[in-house]
Amino acid sequence: MHVLLIEDDTEAAPFLVKGLRESGYSVDHAADGRDGLFRATEGAFDLIVTDRMLPHIDGLAIIELLRAKGIGTPVLVLSALGGVDDRVRGLKAGGDDYLTKPFAFAELLARIEALLRRRAGAPHTTRLKVEDLEFDLLARRVTRGGREVELTARELKLLEFLMRRAGQVVTRTMLLEGVWDLHFDPQSNLIDVHISRLRQAIDRGTDHPLIHTVRGSGYVLRSDA
Amino acid sequence: MRLDLFNTTAFRLSAGYTLLVMLAVSVTLGSAYLLTESLITDEVDLIIATELQSLEEKFARSGLPGVSDEINLRIDSWGRIGAVYMIADANFERIAGNVTHWPFDGMPSERWPEFEIATIEPGRRAVHPVRAAVRTLPGGDLLLVGTDISQGRRFADKFRFATLWGIGLSTLAAALAGFWFSYKLARRVGEVTRTCQRIMDGESGHRLPLAGANDEFDALAASVNRVLDRLEEQAGTLRATFDSTAHDLRAPLQRLRTRMDALLLRSPPLEPAVHESVESALREVDRLQRTLATLLQIALAESGAPLGASASVDLAELTAELVELFEPVAAELGLALACRTQPAAHVQGNRQLLAQLLTNLIENCLKYVPAGGRIEVTVECLADAVHLEVSDNGPGIAASDRARALQPFVRFGSGGQPEGSGLGLSLVAAITRLHRGRLELASNEPGLRVLIDLPNGS
Repeated sequence: MHVLLIEDDTEAAPFLVKGLRESGYSVDHAADGRDGLFRATEGAFDLIVTDRMLPHIDGLAIIELLRAKGIGTPVLVLSALGGVDDRVRGLKAGGDDYLTKPFAFAELLARIEALLRRRAGAPHTTRLKVEDLEFDLLARRVTRGGREVELTARELKLLEFLMRRAGQVVTRTMLLEGVWDLHFDPQSNLIDVHISRLRQAIDRGTDHPLIHTVRGSGYVLRSDA
Repeated sequence: MRLDLFNTTAFRLSAGYTLLVMLAVSVTLGSAYLLTESLITDEVDLIIATELQSLEEKFARSGLPGVSDEINLRIDSWGRIGAVYMIADANFERIAGNVTHWPFDGMPSERWPEFEIATIEPGRRAVHPVRAAVRTLPGGDLLLVGTDISQGRRFADKFRFATLWGIGLSTLAAALAGFWFSYKLARRVGEVTRTCQRIMDGESGHRLPLAGANDEFDALAASVNRVLDRLEEQAGTLRATFDSTAHDLRAPLQRLRTRMDALLLRSPPLEPAVHESVESALREVDRLQRTLATLLQIALAESGAPLGASASVDLAELTAELVELFEPVAAELGLALACRTQPAAHVQGNRQLLAQLLTNLIENCLKYVPAGGRIEVTVECLADAVHLEVSDNGPGIAASDRARALQPFVRFGSGGQPEGSGLGLSLVAAITRLHRGRLELASNEPGLRVLIDLPNGS
């Protein structure tokens, strides 16, 4: 997977490049907006990660120019501007996700992975299945090993979010955004409590649990640890 | 806000003006009418008096036969139009003249008595009013001289008719002009009000329209527009300052995080004790970041910058969602978190900020209310507001500390309370203000009640 990182912070950029390479991505780095736009237009990338405030050309302007040229490469915006409007503006400009600085590297990785998978295409399915866990999306019914699992509407939404991203690390912020549409971090360990309830319902009494905690990142639903 | 035409200064002024016009026209035309009427009567009276005098002189010279001849002569030949004469004896029996019988009951008491004469005119019967005077001649006979005043009466009637119409029409004209005037005025002032409202609602690029008439309204609009330009410029500067401040504070935090993340990810891995220290340092960075984010948000809200992305938000639905989100955490802490909402409590605002407000209020309760406590969140629709209330039975805030609890930064560094206290409520206060709402802290006896009224909007 080929990622373009447009970031003018000369101190942070090398760490990001190194981290991404170690995670298995091939990374190009542009240190200003003009270079970033040039590379994004010329090269074939699977994903672009761009800072918002850049010398020469602003990050959002880059996205708008790319979209105007018909280049649909997914873009993840990194920004030191965390106001409620900034996010909306970033997504309106054509960004696919928005991450406010400072962020944990694990958060960045999880979001990059999510964007790349999303690009691979989310098939219009009516049934999700991970091992013996089955989710009938139309009837909103969940069974584990044929046994029906009782879940609240919100727990169903949470499970659907995890199952659609089976095998991917999903962070707490991603869950807050995706399941509750909240774009700020509450102080409480909200997500952990909800996951633990879901876990109780899904994994209790089985010898191979499906919901796993990824230390320092979040959660993953997958068939085997 | 809608302008009610009948409740404008312009309308009241023009109503007063209409009344004044009506009074002025009534006085002018009314006195002209009265004057004309008395002039006509005076003229009639003068003629009657003159004739009486000449007939009395005739009587003095040639006695009753002379006067009778004179009267017959005047009636038959050149007499003035509408002249009425009569001589009667002391028993009111006619001796001479063109009136068939004495028109009064005995001797009239008034100086200028009036009576009516029925005449046969070609084709119709007519009644003519007559104004007259009576003299007793030496010897006891009575002399009556009168004038048909039907023409004068007709003139007076027409004059009165014209006067009334004149008053009515000029009042109507004044009222119409006043109504039109106040309508125009109210419309232009209404435009100003509406535009200001839209700008307050976040359309900061909006300006007052100029009619191009170069009048005092255009001058006012131009001044207001200049003020708005200045405000927008200041908001822009403010925004830029915030952006660069946020950037300058967050970028170093990001570098710090990245370096620490790199430490944690490196191979060979750190010693467990060092790893633990780095992780705990990372948690501090996260806390710092959260505090910073809150402070920036409070500062931005307090700066009076207009609410950005604003939409209709169902506060009842949002509250139910957040209560559901927090309920398991509350249950873990041994707290009962309940919610009572009225459906479709719409407010105009920013969903994220309102969610942040609710989150802060609920988290505040979770932090302060001891196990076994109870937290209740209610949303009610009032006539022109949505009322949100979060109440608990925890320790509450002393009445003397309540005002202070809402101020930003004051709780910073004060001991005795769990960390971060005060800032959460400050953000709640800031978000409430940003939504043009009202916030009040009260006692729940025991515990804290936070009451918030947000203007409703659909």
